[in-house]
Amino acid sequence: MLPLLPFFIFTGYFLIWPVIAVTLRSFHGNKNEWTLANYRPILHKGPYFHAFVVSLKLSIVTSIIGSLLGAFFAYVIVKYARGKFGAVIDSISAVFANSGGVPLAFMFIAAFGVEGIVTKLLKDLGWDLYAGHFTIFSFTGVVLVYSFFQVPLMVLVFKPAIAGLRREWFDASINLGASPLTYWRRVGIPILVPSFVGAFFLLFAGGFSAYATARALTVGTVPLVPIIIGTLVDGNVISDQTNLGDALAVGMIVVATFAMAGYIWAGRRAARWRNS
Amino acid sequence: MKKFTLKWPLIITASLLAIFTFIVPLYGAALYSFKGNGGKGHSWVNYQWLIHADGFYPSLFTSLKLAVLAAALNLLLMVPTMVYLNLKGQRFKSLVDFLCILPLIIPVVSLAIGAQVAMPKFLQNTQYELVFFFVIIALPYTYRALDTSLQTVALKTLVEASRSLGASWTRTIIRVIVPAIRSGITGALFLTFALSIGEYTITSLLHWETFPTWTVVAAQQNILGAIAISVFSFVGAIALLSAIALFPKRGSQRVEVEE
Repeated sequence: MLPLLPFFIFTGYFLIWPVIAVTLRSFHGNKNEWTLANYRPILHKGPYFHAFVVSLKLSIVTSIIGSLLGAFFAYVIVKYARGKFGAVIDSISAVFANSGGVPLAFMFIAAFGVEGIVTKLLKDLGWDLYAGHFTIFSFTGVVLVYSFFQVPLMVLVFKPAIAGLRREWFDASINLGASPLTYWRRVGIPILVPSFVGAFFLLFAGGFSAYATARALTVGTVPLVPIIIGTLVDGNVISDQTNLGDALAVGMIVVATFAMAGYIWAGRRAARWRNS
Repeated sequence: MKKFTLKWPLIITASLLAIFTFIVPLYGAALYSFKGNGGKGHSWVNYQWLIHADGFYPSLFTSLKLAVLAAALNLLLMVPTMVYLNLKGQRFKSLVDFLCILPLIIPVVSLAIGAQVAMPKFLQNTQYELVFFFVIIALPYTYRALDTSLQTVALKTLVEASRSLGASWTRTIIRVIVPAIRSGITGALFLTFALSIGEYTITSLLHWETFPTWTVVAAQQNILGAIAISVFSFVGAIALLSAIALFPKRGSQRVEVEE
Protein backbone atom coordinates (compact mmCIF):
# COMPACT_ATOMS: atom_id res chain seq x y z
CA MET A 1 0.00 0.00 0.00
CA LEU A 2 2.74 2.45 0.99
CA PRO A 3 4.40 2.63 -2.47
CA LEU A 4 1.02 3.61 -3.90
CA LEU A 5 0.66 6.54 -1.54
CA PRO A 6 2.26 9.16 -3.85
CA PHE A 7 -0.13 8.15 -6.62
CA PHE A 8 -3.20 8.36 -4.39
CA ILE A 9 -2.12 11.69 -2.92
CA PHE A 10 -1.39 13.10 -6.38
CA THR A 11 -4.66 12.04 -8.01
CA GLY A 12 -6.57 12.86 -4.83
CA TYR A 13 -5.27 16.40 -4.75
CA PHE A 14 -5.11 17.29 -8.44
CA LEU A 15 -8.04 15.28 -9.78
CA ILE A 16 -10.60 14.43 -7.09
CA TRP A 17 -10.30 17.49 -4.88
CA PRO A 18 -10.93 20.01 -7.72
CA VAL A 19 -14.07 18.08 -8.68
CA ILE A 20 -15.32 18.10 -5.09
CA ALA A 21 -14.43 21.77 -4.68
CA VAL A 22 -16.30 22.89 -7.78
CA THR A 23 -19.31 20.79 -6.79
CA LEU A 24 -19.40 22.34 -3.33
CA ARG A 25 -19.08 25.88 -4.65
CA SER A 26 -21.83 25.31 -7.21
CA PHE A 27 -24.24 24.98 -4.28
CA HIS A 28 -23.18 28.31 -2.82
CA GLY A 29 -24.50 31.78 -3.63
CA ASN A 30 -22.84 35.19 -3.70
CA LYS A 31 -22.89 35.58 0.07
CA ASN A 32 -21.53 32.10 0.57
CA GLU A 33 -24.94 30.76 1.61
CA TRP A 34 -26.15 27.31 0.54
CA THR A 35 -28.47 27.51 -2.46
CA LEU A 36 -29.76 25.69 -5.50
CA ALA A 37 -30.11 28.94 -7.43
CA ASN A 38 -27.10 28.27 -9.66
CA TYR A 39 -28.84 25.26 -11.16
CA ARG A 40 -32.09 27.05 -11.97
CA PRO A 41 -30.93 28.52 -15.34
CA ILE A 42 -29.84 25.06 -16.52
CA LEU A 43 -33.05 23.26 -15.69
CA HIS A 44 -35.40 25.85 -17.14
CA LYS A 45 -35.68 26.46 -20.82
CA GLY A 46 -33.30 29.21 -21.80
CA PRO A 47 -29.85 29.70 -23.28
CA TYR A 48 -28.10 27.41 -20.78
CA PHE A 49 -30.60 24.58 -21.14
CA HIS A 50 -30.31 25.04 -24.90
CA ALA A 51 -26.51 24.80 -24.70
CA PHE A 52 -26.81 21.38 -23.06
CA VAL A 53 -29.17 20.26 -25.81
CA VAL A 54 -26.79 21.41 -28.54
CA SER A 55 -23.78 19.85 -26.80
CA LEU A 56 -25.59 16.54 -26.38
CA LYS A 57 -26.74 16.58 -29.99
CA LEU A 58 -23.23 17.33 -31.22
CA SER A 59 -21.60 14.57 -29.20
CA ILE A 60 -24.24 11.99 -30.13
CA VAL A 61 -24.07 12.76 -33.86
CA THR A 62 -20.27 12.79 -33.99
CA SER A 63 -20.03 9.60 -31.89
CA ILE A 64 -22.34 7.81 -34.30
CA ILE A 65 -20.34 8.95 -37.33
CA GLY A 66 -17.05 8.31 -35.54
CA SER A 67 -17.87 4.87 -34.23
CA LEU A 68 -19.33 3.52 -37.49
CA LEU A 69 -16.60 4.88 -39.77
CA GLY A 70 -13.90 4.14 -37.20
CA ALA A 71 -15.05 0.53 -36.77
CA PHE A 72 -14.89 0.05 -40.54
CA PHE A 73 -11.35 1.48 -40.68
CA ALA A 74 -10.30 -0.58 -37.67
CA TYR A 75 -11.51 -3.76 -39.34
CA VAL A 76 -9.67 -3.06 -42.59
CA ILE A 77 -6.50 -2.07 -40.71
CA VAL A 78 -6.48 -5.16 -38.49
CA LYS A 79 -7.17 -7.39 -41.45
CA TYR A 80 -4.84 -5.97 -44.07
CA ALA A 81 -2.33 -3.52 -42.59
CA ARG A 82 0.41 -5.34 -40.75
CA GLY A 83 3.97 -4.70 -39.66
CA LYS A 84 5.56 -1.33 -40.23
CA PHE A 85 2.65 0.05 -42.23
CA GLY A 86 0.31 -0.83 -39.37
CA ALA A 87 2.64 0.86 -36.89
CA VAL A 88 2.67 4.05 -38.95
CA ILE A 89 -1.14 4.02 -39.22
CA ASP A 90 -1.25 3.61 -35.44
CA SER A 91 0.85 6.69 -34.84
CA ILE A 92 -1.07 8.72 -37.40
CA SER A 93 -4.33 7.77 -35.67
CA ALA A 94 -2.83 8.72 -32.31
CA VAL A 95 -1.86 12.16 -33.61
CA PHE A 96 -5.22 12.79 -35.24
CA ALA A 97 -7.11 11.55 -32.18
CA ASN A 98 -5.13 13.33 -29.49
CA SER A 99 -3.31 16.40 -30.67
CA GLY A 100 -6.36 17.71 -32.48
CA GLY A 101 -7.39 20.77 -30.59
CA VAL A 102 -6.27 24.09 -31.97
CA PRO A 103 -4.33 22.97 -35.08
CA LEU A 104 -7.34 20.98 -36.22
CA ALA A 105 -9.57 24.04 -36.24
CA PHE A 106 -7.19 26.08 -38.38
CA MET A 107 -6.55 23.22 -40.75
CA PHE A 108 -10.25 22.93 -41.35
CA ILE A 109 -10.62 26.62 -41.99
CA ALA A 110 -7.91 26.21 -44.63
CA ALA A 111 -9.57 23.19 -46.18
CA PHE A 112 -13.30 23.83 -45.84
CA GLY A 113 -13.53 27.60 -45.35
CA VAL A 114 -15.16 29.80 -48.01
CA GLU A 115 -11.78 30.17 -49.71
CA GLY A 116 -10.64 26.68 -48.68
CA ILE A 117 -8.82 24.32 -50.97
CA VAL A 118 -11.31 21.47 -50.58
CA THR A 119 -14.23 23.86 -51.02
CA LYS A 120 -12.77 25.01 -54.35
CA LEU A 121 -12.00 21.47 -55.41
CA LEU A 122 -15.58 20.39 -54.72
CA LYS A 123 -16.88 23.44 -56.54
CA ASP A 124 -14.86 22.49 -59.61
CA LEU A 125 -16.43 19.06 -59.37
CA GLY A 126 -19.86 20.68 -59.30
CA TRP A 127 -20.68 20.63 -55.58
CA ASP A 128 -20.92 24.05 -54.02
CA LEU A 129 -20.65 23.49 -50.26
CA TYR A 130 -21.68 27.04 -49.58
CA ALA A 131 -24.79 27.00 -51.78
CA GLY A 132 -26.95 26.20 -48.75
CA HIS A 133 -26.58 27.25 -45.14
CA PHE A 134 -23.29 25.49 -44.55
CA THR A 135 -20.36 27.30 -43.04
CA ILE A 136 -17.41 25.80 -41.23
CA PHE A 137 -18.47 27.86 -38.21
CA SER A 138 -21.94 26.28 -38.00
CA PHE A 139 -23.22 23.17 -36.25
CA THR A 140 -22.63 21.05 -39.37
CA GLY A 141 -19.15 22.50 -39.64
CA VAL A 142 -18.32 21.52 -36.07
CA VAL A 143 -19.75 18.03 -36.71
CA LEU A 144 -17.37 17.71 -39.65
CA VAL A 145 -14.34 18.82 -37.64
CA TYR A 146 -15.18 16.67 -34.61
CA SER A 147 -15.53 13.59 -36.81
CA PHE A 148 -11.95 14.23 -37.78
CA PHE A 149 -10.77 13.24 -34.29
CA GLN A 150 -13.64 10.88 -33.39
CA VAL A 151 -12.91 8.47 -36.27
CA PRO A 152 -9.22 7.91 -35.43
CA LEU A 153 -10.06 7.69 -31.72
CA MET A 154 -12.48 4.89 -32.56
CA VAL A 155 -9.78 3.18 -34.62
CA LEU A 156 -7.45 3.28 -31.61
CA VAL A 157 -9.89 1.97 -29.01
CA PHE A 158 -11.76 -0.51 -31.19
CA LYS A 159 -8.80 -2.14 -32.95
CA PRO A 160 -7.88 -4.39 -29.99
CA ALA A 161 -11.42 -5.78 -29.92
CA ILE A 162 -11.30 -6.77 -33.57
CA ALA A 163 -7.78 -8.13 -33.21
CA GLY A 164 -9.11 -10.22 -30.30
CA LEU A 165 -11.53 -12.14 -32.54
CA ARG A 166 -9.95 -15.54 -32.68
CA ARG A 167 -9.29 -17.30 -35.92
CA GLU A 168 -10.50 -20.53 -34.25
CA TRP A 169 -13.99 -19.14 -33.77
CA PHE A 170 -14.25 -18.42 -37.47
CA ASP A 171 -12.85 -21.85 -38.43
CA ALA A 172 -15.12 -23.61 -35.95
CA SER A 173 -18.19 -21.86 -37.38
CA ILE A 174 -17.20 -22.75 -40.93
CA ASN A 175 -16.55 -26.36 -39.95
CA LEU A 176 -19.97 -26.52 -38.38
CA GLY A 177 -21.43 -25.45 -41.70
CA ALA A 178 -21.90 -21.72 -41.26
CA SER A 179 -21.34 -19.26 -44.07
CA PRO A 180 -19.03 -16.30 -43.32
CA LEU A 181 -22.15 -14.15 -43.17
CA THR A 182 -23.69 -16.41 -40.54
CA TYR A 183 -20.43 -16.31 -38.62
CA TRP A 184 -20.58 -12.52 -38.47
CA ARG A 185 -24.28 -12.47 -37.65
CA ARG A 186 -24.18 -15.12 -34.92
CA VAL A 187 -20.63 -14.92 -33.54
CA GLY A 188 -18.49 -12.01 -34.66
CA ILE A 189 -20.88 -9.11 -34.26
CA PRO A 190 -22.42 -10.29 -30.94
CA ILE A 191 -18.90 -10.53 -29.50
CA LEU A 192 -17.96 -7.08 -30.76
CA VAL A 193 -21.13 -5.29 -29.65
CA PRO A 194 -20.06 -4.62 -26.03
CA SER A 195 -16.68 -3.22 -27.13
CA PHE A 196 -18.42 -1.13 -29.74
CA VAL A 197 -20.87 0.28 -27.21
CA GLY A 198 -18.03 0.99 -24.76
CA ALA A 199 -16.05 2.81 -27.44
CA PHE A 200 -19.17 4.75 -28.38
CA PHE A 201 -19.52 6.02 -24.81
CA LEU A 202 -15.87 7.03 -24.76
CA LEU A 203 -16.31 8.97 -28.00
CA PHE A 204 -19.44 10.53 -26.58
CA ALA A 205 -17.63 11.72 -23.46
CA GLY A 206 -14.76 13.07 -25.55
CA GLY A 207 -17.01 14.93 -27.94
CA PHE A 208 -19.15 16.30 -25.14
CA SER A 209 -16.24 17.87 -23.29
CA ALA A 210 -14.06 18.93 -26.24
CA TYR A 211 -13.22 22.59 -25.92
CA ALA A 212 -10.15 23.68 -27.85
CA THR A 213 -11.33 22.92 -31.38
CA ALA A 214 -14.75 24.50 -30.96
CA ARG A 215 -13.26 27.50 -29.19
CA ALA A 216 -10.69 28.22 -31.88
CA LEU A 217 -13.19 27.52 -34.66
CA THR A 218 -16.48 29.10 -33.68
CA VAL A 219 -15.73 31.87 -31.21
CA GLY A 220 -19.16 31.30 -29.76
CA THR A 221 -21.29 30.93 -32.89
CA VAL A 222 -22.40 27.46 -31.80
CA PRO A 223 -23.58 27.53 -28.17
CA LEU A 224 -21.79 24.61 -26.51
CA VAL A 225 -21.60 24.16 -22.74
CA PRO A 226 -17.77 24.14 -22.54
CA ILE A 227 -17.59 27.33 -24.60
CA ILE A 228 -20.14 29.06 -22.38
CA ILE A 229 -18.20 28.04 -19.28
CA GLY A 230 -15.09 29.47 -20.91
CA THR A 231 -16.84 32.78 -21.55
CA LEU A 232 -18.05 32.90 -17.94
CA VAL A 233 -14.54 32.25 -16.68
CA ASP A 234 -13.10 34.93 -18.91
CA GLY A 235 -15.03 37.46 -16.91
CA ASN A 236 -18.24 38.19 -18.80
CA VAL A 237 -20.21 37.44 -15.70
CA ILE A 238 -23.36 39.14 -14.53
CA SER A 239 -22.95 39.85 -10.83
CA ASP A 240 -25.64 37.47 -9.58
CA GLN A 241 -24.28 34.56 -11.58
CA THR A 242 -20.80 34.18 -10.15
CA ASN A 243 -21.20 30.49 -9.49
CA LEU A 244 -23.27 29.68 -12.56
CA GLY A 245 -20.10 28.45 -14.30
CA ASP A 246 -19.58 25.99 -11.43
CA ALA A 247 -23.10 24.64 -11.86
CA LEU A 248 -22.54 24.22 -15.60
CA ALA A 249 -19.25 22.42 -14.91
CA VAL A 250 -21.01 20.07 -12.48
CA GLY A 251 -23.76 19.52 -15.05
CA MET A 252 -21.10 18.40 -17.50
CA ILE A 253 -19.62 16.04 -14.92
CA VAL A 254 -23.08 14.51 -14.38
CA VAL A 255 -23.55 13.86 -18.10
CA ALA A 256 -20.02 12.47 -18.31
CA THR A 257 -20.73 10.17 -15.35
CA PHE A 258 -23.56 8.54 -17.27
CA ALA A 259 -21.21 8.01 -20.18
CA MET A 260 -18.64 6.51 -17.81
CA ALA A 261 -21.22 4.16 -16.31
CA GLY A 262 -22.06 2.97 -19.83
CA TYR A 263 -18.39 2.59 -20.66
CA ILE A 264 -17.64 0.52 -17.56
CA TRP A 265 -20.73 -1.65 -17.99
CA ALA A 266 -19.85 -2.34 -21.62
CA GLY A 267 -16.24 -3.02 -20.63
CA ARG A 268 -17.36 -5.75 -18.20
CA ARG A 269 -19.50 -7.36 -20.87
CA ALA A 270 -16.63 -7.26 -23.33
CA ALA A 271 -14.19 -8.78 -20.82
CA ARG A 272 -16.32 -11.92 -20.52
CA TRP A 273 -15.04 -13.13 -23.85
CA ARG A 274 -11.42 -12.34 -23.21
CA ASN A 275 -10.95 -14.18 -19.95
CA SER A 276 -12.62 -17.44 -20.81
CA MET B 1 -12.89 -17.90 -51.65
CA LYS B 2 -15.24 -15.22 -50.47
CA LYS B 3 -12.34 -13.47 -48.76
CA PHE B 4 -10.49 -12.95 -52.01
CA THR B 5 -13.41 -11.19 -53.61
CA LEU B 6 -13.85 -8.91 -50.61
CA LYS B 7 -10.25 -7.98 -49.91
CA TRP B 8 -9.55 -5.39 -52.58
CA PRO B 9 -12.94 -3.65 -52.58
CA LEU B 10 -12.55 -3.19 -48.81
CA ILE B 11 -9.02 -1.86 -49.03
CA ILE B 12 -9.89 0.46 -51.88
CA THR B 13 -13.00 1.83 -50.14
CA ALA B 14 -11.09 2.39 -46.92
CA SER B 15 -8.17 4.04 -48.70
CA LEU B 16 -10.41 6.35 -50.70
CA LEU B 17 -12.37 7.29 -47.57
CA ALA B 18 -9.17 7.90 -45.63
CA ILE B 19 -7.66 9.95 -48.42
CA PHE B 20 -10.72 12.08 -48.79
CA THR B 21 -11.46 12.63 -45.11
CA PHE B 22 -7.93 12.89 -43.73
CA ILE B 23 -5.26 13.39 -46.35
CA VAL B 24 -7.09 15.94 -48.51
CA PRO B 25 -7.83 18.41 -45.67
CA LEU B 26 -4.26 18.10 -44.43
CA TYR B 27 -2.91 18.57 -47.95
CA GLY B 28 -5.31 21.46 -48.51
CA ALA B 29 -4.17 23.18 -45.35
CA ALA B 30 -0.53 22.63 -46.28
CA LEU B 31 -1.07 24.23 -49.70
CA TYR B 32 -2.92 27.10 -48.08
CA SER B 33 -0.06 27.74 -45.68
CA PHE B 34 2.30 28.34 -48.62
CA LYS B 35 0.15 31.08 -50.09
CA GLY B 36 1.93 34.33 -50.70
CA ASN B 37 0.86 37.82 -49.69
CA GLY B 38 -2.75 38.52 -50.57
CA GLY B 39 -3.27 34.87 -51.37
CA LYS B 40 -1.18 35.01 -54.55
CA GLY B 41 1.45 32.51 -55.63
CA HIS B 42 3.48 30.24 -53.41
CA SER B 43 6.03 31.32 -50.85
CA TRP B 44 7.43 30.80 -47.41
CA VAL B 45 6.11 34.14 -46.28
CA ASN B 46 3.74 32.71 -43.64
CA TYR B 47 6.46 30.61 -42.11
CA GLN B 48 8.79 33.60 -42.10
CA TRP B 49 6.13 35.68 -40.40
CA LEU B 50 5.77 32.92 -37.85
CA ILE B 51 9.43 32.89 -36.89
CA HIS B 52 9.55 36.64 -36.45
CA ALA B 53 6.16 37.03 -34.75
CA ASP B 54 6.02 38.45 -31.25
CA GLY B 55 5.73 35.75 -28.67
CA PHE B 56 6.62 32.84 -30.94
CA TYR B 57 9.82 31.85 -29.16
CA PRO B 58 8.75 32.69 -25.59
CA SER B 59 5.52 30.71 -25.88
CA LEU B 60 7.20 27.81 -27.66
CA PHE B 61 9.88 27.76 -24.99
CA THR B 62 7.28 27.80 -22.20
CA SER B 63 5.43 24.91 -23.81
CA LEU B 64 8.59 22.86 -24.28
CA LYS B 65 9.65 23.49 -20.70
CA LEU B 66 6.28 22.55 -19.22
CA ALA B 67 6.02 19.47 -21.45
CA VAL B 68 9.45 18.19 -20.44
CA LEU B 69 8.64 18.70 -16.76
CA ALA B 70 5.26 16.99 -17.13
CA ALA B 71 6.79 14.00 -18.92
CA ALA B 72 9.46 13.66 -16.23
CA LEU B 73 7.03 14.00 -13.32
CA ASN B 74 4.69 11.54 -14.97
CA LEU B 75 7.35 8.85 -15.17
CA LEU B 76 8.58 9.55 -11.67
CA LEU B 77 5.07 9.04 -10.35
CA MET B 78 3.82 6.26 -12.59
CA VAL B 79 6.76 3.88 -13.04
CA PRO B 80 7.04 2.94 -9.33
CA THR B 81 3.25 2.89 -9.03
CA MET B 82 2.78 0.56 -11.98
CA VAL B 83 5.66 -1.71 -10.94
CA TYR B 84 4.27 -2.12 -7.44
CA LEU B 85 0.78 -2.62 -8.84
CA ASN B 86 1.88 -5.45 -11.10
CA LEU B 87 4.10 -7.00 -8.45
CA LYS B 88 2.19 -6.95 -5.18
CA GLY B 89 -0.65 -4.48 -5.37
CA GLN B 90 -3.15 -6.54 -7.37
CA ARG B 91 -5.82 -5.65 -4.81
CA PHE B 92 -5.58 -1.98 -5.74
CA LYS B 93 -5.42 -2.48 -9.45
CA SER B 94 -9.07 -1.81 -10.19
CA LEU B 95 -8.99 1.36 -8.07
CA VAL B 96 -5.88 2.71 -9.82
CA ASP B 97 -7.34 1.67 -13.15
CA PHE B 98 -10.48 3.63 -12.34
CA LEU B 99 -8.56 6.74 -11.24
CA CYS B 100 -6.52 6.64 -14.44
CA ILE B 101 -9.62 6.44 -16.64
CA LEU B 102 -11.24 9.39 -14.85
CA PRO B 103 -9.37 12.12 -16.76
CA LEU B 104 -10.98 10.82 -19.96
CA ILE B 105 -14.40 11.10 -18.36
CA ILE B 106 -14.28 14.23 -16.24
CA PRO B 107 -14.60 17.11 -18.72
CA VAL B 108 -11.33 19.01 -18.82
CA VAL B 109 -13.28 22.25 -18.59
CA SER B 110 -14.78 21.13 -15.27
CA LEU B 111 -11.35 20.11 -14.02
CA ALA B 112 -10.02 23.56 -14.90
CA ILE B 113 -12.84 25.32 -13.04
CA GLY B 114 -12.24 23.00 -10.12
CA ALA B 115 -8.55 23.85 -10.17
CA GLN B 116 -9.40 27.51 -9.89
CA VAL B 117 -11.53 26.82 -6.85
CA ALA B 118 -9.34 24.26 -5.15
CA MET B 119 -5.70 25.16 -5.73
CA PRO B 120 -3.95 27.38 -3.21
CA LYS B 121 -2.96 30.91 -4.28
CA PHE B 122 0.79 30.31 -4.39
CA LEU B 123 0.29 27.51 -6.91
CA GLN B 124 -2.16 29.51 -9.00
CA ASN B 125 0.38 32.29 -9.26
CA THR B 126 2.89 30.21 -11.16
CA GLN B 127 2.66 28.66 -14.60
CA TYR B 128 4.19 25.46 -13.18
CA GLU B 129 0.75 24.56 -11.79
CA LEU B 130 -0.01 23.44 -15.35
CA VAL B 131 2.58 20.66 -15.07
CA PHE B 132 0.46 18.84 -12.48
CA PHE B 133 -2.64 19.00 -14.64
CA PHE B 134 -0.76 17.91 -17.75
CA VAL B 135 0.29 14.83 -15.78
CA ILE B 136 -3.34 14.19 -14.83
CA ILE B 137 -4.52 14.50 -18.43
CA ALA B 138 -1.85 12.08 -19.61
CA LEU B 139 -2.66 9.44 -16.94
CA PRO B 140 -5.00 7.28 -19.09
CA TYR B 141 -2.35 6.94 -21.78
CA THR B 142 0.63 6.46 -19.46
CA TYR B 143 -1.23 3.84 -17.50
CA ARG B 144 -1.99 1.77 -20.56
CA ALA B 145 1.47 2.15 -22.11
CA LEU B 146 3.27 1.10 -18.93
CA ASP B 147 0.81 -1.64 -18.02
CA THR B 148 1.04 -3.28 -21.43
CA SER B 149 4.81 -3.38 -21.43
CA LEU B 150 5.03 -4.52 -17.78
CA GLN B 151 2.85 -7.49 -18.59
CA THR B 152 5.22 -8.66 -21.30
CA VAL B 153 8.22 -9.04 -18.97
CA ALA B 154 8.75 -11.59 -16.22
CA LEU B 155 8.60 -8.91 -13.59
CA LYS B 156 8.66 -11.15 -10.53
CA THR B 157 11.69 -13.10 -11.70
CA LEU B 158 13.61 -9.96 -12.57
CA VAL B 159 12.87 -8.35 -9.23
CA GLU B 160 13.68 -11.46 -7.19
CA ALA B 161 16.95 -11.94 -9.05
CA SER B 162 17.98 -8.35 -8.59
CA ARG B 163 16.97 -8.20 -4.92
CA SER B 164 18.65 -11.47 -4.01
CA LEU B 165 21.85 -10.22 -5.61
CA GLY B 166 21.71 -7.39 -3.11
CA ALA B 167 20.31 -4.47 -5.11
CA SER B 168 18.11 -1.96 -3.36
CA TRP B 169 14.60 -1.21 -4.56
CA THR B 170 15.61 2.05 -6.21
CA ARG B 171 18.50 0.33 -7.94
CA THR B 172 16.24 -2.52 -9.06
CA ILE B 173 13.78 -0.16 -10.63
CA ILE B 174 16.37 2.03 -12.33
CA ARG B 175 18.82 -0.62 -13.48
CA VAL B 176 16.62 -3.65 -14.09
CA ILE B 177 12.98 -2.76 -14.63
CA VAL B 178 13.34 0.50 -16.52
CA PRO B 179 15.57 -1.04 -19.21
CA ALA B 180 13.22 -4.00 -19.48
CA ILE B 181 10.17 -1.84 -20.17
CA ARG B 182 11.93 0.76 -22.30
CA SER B 183 9.32 0.67 -25.07
CA GLY B 184 6.48 1.38 -22.64
CA ILE B 185 8.43 4.19 -21.03
CA THR B 186 9.28 5.78 -24.38
CA GLY B 187 5.63 5.59 -25.34
CA ALA B 188 4.46 7.15 -22.06
CA LEU B 189 7.12 9.82 -22.30
CA PHE B 190 6.25 10.96 -25.79
CA LEU B 191 2.50 10.78 -25.27
CA THR B 192 2.76 12.99 -22.19
CA PHE B 193 5.06 15.32 -24.05
CA ALA B 194 2.77 15.53 -27.09
CA LEU B 195 -0.38 16.03 -25.01
CA SER B 196 1.27 18.70 -22.88
CA ILE B 197 2.63 20.64 -25.81
CA GLY B 198 -0.79 20.74 -27.46
CA GLU B 199 -2.85 21.32 -24.33
CA TYR B 200 -5.18 24.27 -24.75
CA THR B 201 -8.23 23.92 -22.50
CA ILE B 202 -6.76 24.08 -19.00
CA THR B 203 -4.05 26.51 -20.08
CA SER B 204 -6.47 29.03 -21.52
CA LEU B 205 -9.03 28.69 -18.72
CA LEU B 206 -6.31 29.29 -16.14
CA HIS B 207 -5.10 32.24 -18.25
CA TRP B 208 -1.56 31.13 -19.06
CA GLU B 209 0.19 31.68 -22.34
CA THR B 210 1.70 28.65 -24.01
CA PHE B 211 2.20 27.80 -27.65
CA PRO B 212 -1.41 26.72 -28.39
CA THR B 213 -3.00 29.70 -26.68
CA TRP B 214 -0.54 32.01 -28.42
CA THR B 215 -1.54 30.44 -31.75
CA VAL B 216 -5.19 31.30 -31.19
CA VAL B 217 -4.32 34.90 -30.35
CA ALA B 218 -1.91 35.15 -33.28
CA ALA B 219 -4.58 33.82 -35.63
CA GLN B 220 -6.53 37.03 -35.15
CA GLN B 221 -3.61 38.89 -36.71
CA ASN B 222 -2.64 36.42 -39.38
CA ILE B 223 -4.85 33.44 -40.09
CA LEU B 224 -2.45 32.11 -42.72
CA GLY B 225 0.30 32.13 -40.13
CA ALA B 226 -1.90 30.18 -37.71
CA ILE B 227 -2.60 27.64 -40.44
CA ALA B 228 1.13 27.37 -41.08
CA ILE B 229 1.72 26.62 -37.38
CA SER B 230 -1.04 24.02 -37.38
CA VAL B 231 0.28 22.20 -40.43
CA PHE B 232 3.77 22.34 -39.03
CA SER B 233 2.80 20.86 -35.65
CA PHE B 234 0.58 18.17 -37.19
CA VAL B 235 3.16 16.96 -39.66
CA GLY B 236 5.87 17.22 -37.02
CA ALA B 237 3.89 15.10 -34.56
CA ILE B 238 3.12 12.43 -37.15
CA ALA B 239 6.75 12.26 -38.25
CA LEU B 240 7.96 12.00 -34.66
CA LEU B 241 5.50 9.30 -33.62
CA SER B 242 6.07 7.29 -36.79
CA ALA B 243 9.80 7.43 -36.22
CA ILE B 244 9.30 6.13 -32.67
CA ALA B 245 6.96 3.40 -33.88
CA LEU B 246 9.42 2.25 -36.52
CA PHE B 247 12.71 2.23 -34.62
CA PRO B 248 12.11 1.33 -31.02
CA LYS B 249 13.35 -2.19 -30.61
CA ARG B 250 17.09 -2.18 -30.39
CA GLY B 251 17.21 -4.99 -27.91
CA SER B 252 18.71 -4.32 -24.52
CA GLN B 253 22.36 -4.14 -25.49
CA ARG B 254 22.68 -0.81 -23.74
CA VAL B 255 22.17 -2.35 -20.34
CA GLU B 256 25.77 -2.72 -19.34
CA VAL B 257 27.75 -2.25 -16.20
CA GLU B 258 29.09 1.24 -16.17
CA GLU B 259 31.00 1.46 -12.92
